Amino acid sequence: MATVAVPQLSGYHRPAVLDWITTVDHKKLGILYLYFTLFFFAVGGILALLVRTQLAVADNSFVGNDAYNQIFTMHASAMLFLFIIPVWAGFGNYLVPLQIGAADMAFPRINALSFWMLPPAGILMFAGFIVDGGAADGGWTAYSPLAQQTGVGMDMWIIAVIVLGMSSTIGAANFLVTMFRMRAPGMTMFRMPIFCWTMLVTALLQLLATPVLAAALVMLFIDRNYGGQFFDPNGGGNVVLWQNVFWFYSHPAVYIMILPGMGIVSEILPVFSRKPLFGYKAFVFATIGIGGLGFSVWAHHMFTTGSVLLPFFGFMTFMIGVPTGVKIFNWLGTLWGGSISFPTPMLFAIGFVSMFLIGGINGTYSAAVPVDFALHDTYFVVAHIHYVLFGGSVFAVFGGLYYWFPKIWGRKLNERLGKLHFALMFVGFNVAFFPMHMLGLDGMPRRIAVYADSAGWEALNMLSTGGAFLIAVSMIPFLIAVVMAFMRPKDQPDDPWEANTLEWATTSPPPHYNFDSLPPVRSERPLFDARHGDEAH
Amino acid sequence: MLRMSLPRRVRLLAAATAAGLLALLATGTASAIQPGGITDEARLMNELFWIVTIAGLIVFALVAAALVYAIIRYRRKDDELPPQFHGGGKIEVAMVGVPILIVIGLFTISMITLVQIDDKAEDDALTIDVTGFQFSWQFAYNLNDLGTNTDPNAEGTIAVIGTPANDPILYMPVDEPVEFLLKSNDVIHSFYVVDFLYKLDLIPGRVNSFTVTARETGDFRAQCAELCGTNHALMRFTVRVVERDEFDAWVADEAARQLGEGTLVSSSGTQGD
Repeated sequence: MATVAVPQLSGYHRPAVLDWITTVDHKKLGILYLYFTLFFFAVGGILALLVRTQLAVADNSFVGNDAYNQIFTMHASAMLFLFIIPVWAGFGNYLVPLQIGAADMAFPRINALSFWMLPPAGILMFAGFIVDGGAADGGWTAYSPLAQQTGVGMDMWIIAVIVLGMSSTIGAANFLVTMFRMRAPGMTMFRMPIFCWTMLVTALLQLLATPVLAAALVMLFIDRNYGGQFFDPNGGGNVVLWQNVFWFYSHPAVYIMILPGMGIVSEILPVFSRKPLFGYKAFVFATIGIGGLGFSVWAHHMFTTGSVLLPFFGFMTFMIGVPTGVKIFNWLGTLWGGSISFPTPMLFAIGFVSMFLIGGINGTYSAAVPVDFALHDTYFVVAHIHYVLFGGSVFAVFGGLYYWFPKIWGRKLNERLGKLHFALMFVGFNVAFFPMHMLGLDGMPRRIAVYADSAGWEALNMLSTGGAFLIAVSMIPFLIAVVMAFMRPKDQPDDPWEANTLEWATTSPPPHYNFDSLPPVRSERPLFDARHGDEAH
Repeated sequence: MLRMSLPRRVRLLAAATAAGLLALLATGTASAIQPGGITDEARLMNELFWIVTIAGLIVFALVAAALVYAIIRYRRKDDELPPQFHGGGKIEVAMVGVPILIVIGLFTISMITLVQIDDKAEDDALTIDVTGFQFSWQFAYNLNDLGTNTDPNAEGTIAVIGTPANDPILYMPVDEPVEFLLKSNDVIHSFYVVDFLYKLDLIPGRVNSFTVTARETGDFRAQCAELCGTNHALMRFTVRVVERDEFDAWVADEAARQLGEGTLVSSSGTQGD
């Protein structure tokens, strides 16, 4: 299985910095994506700690009301637009060509362009903090007319999000062409690794939904700067129009943020259970189903506007629970009857399943329209999104990092530190976010900078803040493990986990253009077939 | 055989107990926290809340038990390859069928509740005009639209206007339907009374309305639930539900104070009826 890199011609050598800036290699771009997004995960995390510090006690004046609005707006913007959406592009960039046995993405230069649009957008968005009026402070949802009132930081935010949207749109086209056109011989669509399938549906959602967001943002920009009246009722515009168009993108975007995480978990569970994914095709159709239904539920974010067709959106929102439920069965069925080991990636994957289960169940409250009237815009919803996007997506990110670290960097992260990381993060996460259910039921609205002592919310908020800091502490063993790994030589074999998919059929890390030769692909687990032949079918 | 089955039963029991305890804990905290609601509508919504909660806890307990059981029972003991089943057949039908049954059931129940709470008030219900502004509230009462005891010939409007530093109080009578008309002239706000288990947005360019019948007297906290700018968090108010005669007395006092003595003679005169 050894693969030999093509020797580099002398004289072709470039300095490392220039090499990273000009690279069109999908693996290097994938690594750049990962570095960039993890940096903004840290930035968004620090903003989250500021939010939690402010809310730890009643009537706090740690940050002012204006600053608070900027902080939570930028927390969400960083986490959603600069971390979780592009981090999947990072994993996808590195892994999709390897998993389908291709030499690179279909359009390497467009791939580089997709990445290099991110840093200027991130800088532009955060430069809002140094301009007059501060950074965007209308929430990541930027509801008009509030979003018309704020300073130039809001315009910078709008432009940044448009640029990020362009990046993910062209990236999506690139992923689709790559997966449709560049699969290895023998790899039919239904033999494609499950992570690729989730990236495929994610890319479709991005391609179809992101231009709609761009249109909305351009309208908002025109309203703000040139007196357009798209969202101004005094000029014949409509306030709720913004919410319809915004959520037409942003609800599918929730699936953009979680589907690849489901894909990663569905790669990890079979490997460490030593079984195929239970119900591969059901999983694929469920993923497609989520993608399709994802376009018909946007107005469940708007039940309390009084201008929503409640039965339709209530029904569709319940229905999207069906393919989600199917996936829970996929994962349980994969574990059932397996031979399960528990290295760090597996712990994060099981953590994902259990936390995503809660995130699915507490989501049904908002589908039951009359219950949503009570819970909408309270901390209950904050709990829900974090169970999906942190308990779900972030756990999948770390599961994926521990799992593919040997492939990407040729070194393994320390298992003990990894397990400590998982334990601290799992406990910290639940301590931080479970109390938010209770706060929401007790009527604490989201996005408030202060609450009165008499409201009685202090104890639970203090608990939640403690959990948030525990999450921050859990990053310490992770960082130590990374530093320790980089101090060691690259010693990882091609396939340290006894995995199933083609990325493990080449060296760790893989050479330029990935493969010298490919094993035959006769199922969705070509490496399993190579190891066990026909004995296990 | 016995040696095999006993630990297995113990494991199963452990998994079920753990899941059951978690579910009980969640139920306990939820019932301690969740306000039951003080209006007819809220009580209906509260019933729905508990139906969703119980359904959710059953699903959680079953899945969590299966998960805990699987990771204990099927942990790796030797290097042997387990049976490689890929799924398919009846179990995949169940995978789709069970969630469909659950969600259709929950959807039907929530639509029934929605229709029940959506019944519009009679025309003679007391109407309160609520205007949200950055960053407080105005509650206006038209003197010829006060529900029971209304004098159709009364003229004028009384209003309570708050400031961020001085939360306004919304007076409303108990045991009769009250209609709220919600308006805003600046940005979107949301009228959220926790114990109504309800909120509705105030949207520039349109008027939203809803009706509730409160069944308990007392002071209830409320605040804006839609981010509306700097002092969004200070946009609080109190809903004071009082007996009808107390409400009429308050109206009379306010009318005298705001509109001058004698304006509300006829309305005050009806109080003894």
